[in-house]
Amino acid sequence: MDVASPSLELKNVDVHFRGEPILSAINLQIQPGERVSIIGPSGQGKSVLLKTLAGLIIPTRGHVFIQGCDWHHTPKDTKIPLLKNLGMLFQKNALFDSLSCGENIAFPLREVNHLPEEDIQKLVAYFLEAVAIPHAKNLYPDEISGGMQKRLGIARALALDPQILFYDDPTAGLDPITSRKIVDLICELQKKKNSTLVAITNDMNRAYQMSDRILMVVDQAVLEAGSPQSIRSNQDPRIQQFINGKLSGPLTVMA
Amino acid sequence: MTPNSFSHYILNIFSEIGSLILFLKEVLITSIKYPSSRQQILEQIWQVTMQSVSTTSMAGFFVGAIMAIQFAMQMSEFGAIGYLGGLTTSGTIREVGPLLIAFLLSGKIGAYTSAELGTMRVTEQIDAIRCLGANPIQELIVPRFIAIVISSFFLLGAGLIMSVFGGALMGYLFAGVSYEQYVRYIPSLITLPSIISGTFKSFVFAFILGSICTYQGYKTTGGAKGVGRSVVNTAVLTMMCIVVADWITSTLSDLILKMITETIH
Amino acid sequence: MIHFKNVVKRFGDRTILKGISFDLDEGEILFILGTSGTGKSVLLKTIVGLLRSDEGEIYIDHQEVTKLSEADFAPIRKKCGMVFQHPALFDSMTIFDNVAFGLRKHFKMSEAEIKVKVRNALTMVHLTGIENKYPSEISYGMQKRVSLARTVAIVPRVLLFDEPTTGLDPVTTNAVNMLIRDLSHTLGATSIVVSHDMACALAIANKIIVLDQGNIVAQGTPQEILQCRVPLVEDFLIEVKNDSQLL
Repeated sequence: MDVASPSLELKNVDVHFRGEPILSAINLQIQPGERVSIIGPSGQGKSVLLKTLAGLIIPTRGHVFIQGCDWHHTPKDTKIPLLKNLGMLFQKNALFDSLSCGENIAFPLREVNHLPEEDIQKLVAYFLEAVAIPHAKNLYPDEISGGMQKRLGIARALALDPQILFYDDPTAGLDPITSRKIVDLICELQKKKNSTLVAITNDMNRAYQMSDRILMVVDQAVLEAGSPQSIRSNQDPRIQQFINGKLSGPLTVMA
Repeated sequence: MTPNSFSHYILNIFSEIGSLILFLKEVLITSIKYPSSRQQILEQIWQVTMQSVSTTSMAGFFVGAIMAIQFAMQMSEFGAIGYLGGLTTSGTIREVGPLLIAFLLSGKIGAYTSAELGTMRVTEQIDAIRCLGANPIQELIVPRFIAIVISSFFLLGAGLIMSVFGGALMGYLFAGVSYEQYVRYIPSLITLPSIISGTFKSFVFAFILGSICTYQGYKTTGGAKGVGRSVVNTAVLTMMCIVVADWITSTLSDLILKMITETIH
Repeated sequence: MIHFKNVVKRFGDRTILKGISFDLDEGEILFILGTSGTGKSVLLKTIVGLLRSDEGEIYIDHQEVTKLSEADFAPIRKKCGMVFQHPALFDSMTIFDNVAFGLRKHFKMSEAEIKVKVRNALTMVHLTGIENKYPSEISYGMQKRVSLARTVAIVPRVLLFDEPTTGLDPVTTNAVNMLIRDLSHTLGATSIVVSHDMACALAIANKIIVLDQGNIVAQGTPQEILQCRVPLVEDFLIEVKNDSQLL
């Protein structure tokens, strides 16, 4: 990996779905160790941007670079070692129902890293402890609460020790207190590894809490909204309307 | 499986059966006390029939064809090939037809109904119906239940007619039986008992399918995963129950037929 | 208007509500806050009889409802409109029929009257010209408003909202909160809102209840809640400073 190259980069990227443009001419760089959150009205393409950055969506035009690698123009074999550096937490957690919480974490370790069983068990214990659910080791995902499932999902994503982590609305549907704790945890673990973090959120308080830089997806574009400190003085009326939740403005409300 | 979890498992089965019976009781009482609108029932019958008529017809055609080939091989040895059409059709109406249609319906309508009701349950549409002053059993369950039972007769008919075509084609191609010859003995070999036994079976199977799929859908819990679970449960349970019910009804009708013939002689 | 007296609700061996008591006067707006899984929605559902409490009494308009049969609940549900977390619209019906559903079931009205009432209800949520569409043809935000219209069409005296803004972006959240306030005032209804949104509660509620593990840990007017020193309540208040400029 070239040290100078950004963690993630989009060059002139268009994404269309069924002929409909979702993102147009996007240029974006995310540096190693940066924490970025993606906000914006629903249905405008937040998830599409996240998945494009993660290399899960092939853009209609343009290039996606992940750790300097031109992702969709590189043969599969060269990408395999890089895949290990990416971690993703989906909105629905995507936990394996048939495995216990401990096994949920152990499974990718066994499949991807081929570690000896002893080390795997140590890692499982460490990460369950880190997300504060050590008691859930032998329980199944449907036996623990929604907040705990989120933590388990985070633990599983982190166990592989990825350098870049993608979160699709990690606190969706959770109350503010649980949300805050989960984001605290995400940030704490990010700090330890100095990993790159990209997260979608609908909750401005979470965006302020977990990012160095906020991006807003609207009208097929990605707006640089600034840091949590500077966003309030951003001049774009769409950003001002959105973060203040104002009903009047260029964004159509509940349409 | 520890003895404890085994007894738990058995207990679970019984409590499921118990709550299914309670559910059916509620459906029965509601259908009498608060009859569903005729329009809703007709709409459902139309939907169920239209959804499945093409698959049942096609399956009926091939069943007729398969049965005709099987019978033709054996019957030509006995020089009884003239009865091919009659025997094939009576076999289809008594046994294969109802069973096959029940299987097709459980795959198609059973899965569809339990998924539809399950989705309505987990997205709180069923609660919304109650809050807006309506009875979900009357609005949703009874029309679907009745529709499944009634449509299965139509579909049985469609499947049978197509099986005659399928059988006649095979008879013509592989046994040299003309169409005319094929249909000649159909009326005389399809006896009243075989029609009664066929329709009775079809009714029993449709009743089983209707109860299980509406029950599974209506009692869904646990979001999208719960809906998936209900659909799988519906498929597995209906198939199992239908096979068992087929065995019971076959044995019973056989016994009854024997008793009747004995009293006649 | 609504009176809870020691209401207990159990699911199997888990007790979800552990003796809930409160009073709500006509025309007041009550917000119920609490972390996920503390029985807020359960409480709401016991009011309209979607769930039955195991102990205690619930009075709606001076009538005790916990022992009513499903059939006897109909007149209570005529008075209580419930808005669910998801739009819960009927997929197979047009928007018009969705909004008209409660009118047709609860009241014996002519189609002409129904037409007027449906139009009024849709106007109240700022929607026009979509009567003949199906739920799948309109956006989520619009579906949410249709579900509000469906509830207010029967002109209920009590409005119940189950997490109306969870998972919505800030602009939509604000729009929904404004609608709740306006609808309650226009209809003069008594409202109960189950929510996570403390900022909104402080802005539009007359009374706030904070639930924890099935118990009421704090209850009072917004001013009283702001002064409250219960740790859970303080946790809810931490970020309100950021938010309070919303409303």
